[in-house]
Amino acid sequence: MHAGTEQLDGIFQALADPTRRAILTRLGGGPTAVGELAKPFDMALPSFMKHIAALEQSGLIRTAKSGRVRTCTLEPSTFALVDGWLNAQRRIWTGRTDRLEAFVTKDSK
Amino acid sequence: MNRSFDPERDLSIERFIRAPRAAVWNAWTNPRQFEQWWVPEPARCRAVRFEAIPGGPLVTEISEDGAAFAPHMDACFLIVEPQRRLIFTDALLGGFRPAPSSFITAEITLDEAEGGTQYTAHVMHSDRATRDKHAELGFHDGWGTVIGQLAKFVEAPTS
Repeated sequence: MHAGTEQLDGIFQALADPTRRAILTRLGGGPTAVGELAKPFDMALPSFMKHIAALEQSGLIRTAKSGRVRTCTLEPSTFALVDGWLNAQRRIWTGRTDRLEAFVTKDSK
Repeated sequence: MNRSFDPERDLSIERFIRAPRAAVWNAWTNPRQFEQWWVPEPARCRAVRFEAIPGGPLVTEISEDGAAFAPHMDACFLIVEPQRRLIFTDALLGGFRPAPSSFITAEITLDEAEGGTQYTAHVMHSDRATRDKHAELGFHDGWGTVIGQLAKFVEAPTS
C-alpha cells in the first residue's frame, strides 16, 4: 500500500500533538462520544473540537452525529498507511514462505 | 545469541513445512531452486551471484515481464550452518564489503520436526527513512507507544 507524501505529512502532523495522541489511544478502546472524550482534558470544548477536527481531517478518525451526540471512531485504513511498510514486509515474507512451502512439498504430493 | 525482538521493525514468520529439512535447506541455498520461489509470479527472479557460505554474495534480479531484469537484492551471507541456520544482510555486499545503504538482516532457522521441518524467518529492518522522518518532526516516546497500541487495534479483525 502506498500513501502520498502529503497525506502522510498530514497524518504525522496530527499525531505530533500529545492531546491528539491521547484521544487516539482512548479511541483504541472503541467509538466514543466527543463529550466523554473531552472529560479528562482541561480545556474548553471549542479548543478540544479543533483537535477532533484536525484528527478527522487527517483521516485518522471519522465522526458521526446522532441527535446531539457526536461520536468519534478510529479509521483503521489510515493507520494502515502509517503502519504500512512493516505490514507490507510481512506480506512479502508470508508470500515467500507460502511459495517456499509449495516448492518443497510439490514432489511429495 | 541474545537478540531482542523489536515489534516496530522486526517480523517473525513461523511455519511447519511438511518436507524434509534437507529439501527446505536446498531451496534456500541452491540458486536454481531459490529463483523459483523468491518472488511472486508472474515476476521472475534471477540469482545472479549466489554462494551460501559466510561472505558469499546473494545478488538477485527481478523481472516483471520476463524480459528486462532489474536489480532486486544485493546482500551477503553472514552465517551458514548447513541444514540448520543462515543469516544474511544487505548491510554488506558479497565478500563482506560495506553496502552504501541497508534495509534488512534476516535469519532463517530450520528445526527437525515430526513429519517435516519447523521453519522460522526472523527479519530485522533498519527503517531508516521512517526513523529520520520521526526525528525531523520531533517525535519522542509517545509516538511509539501510540502506534504500538493502535497497531494491535488495527490488526484485530474489524467488521
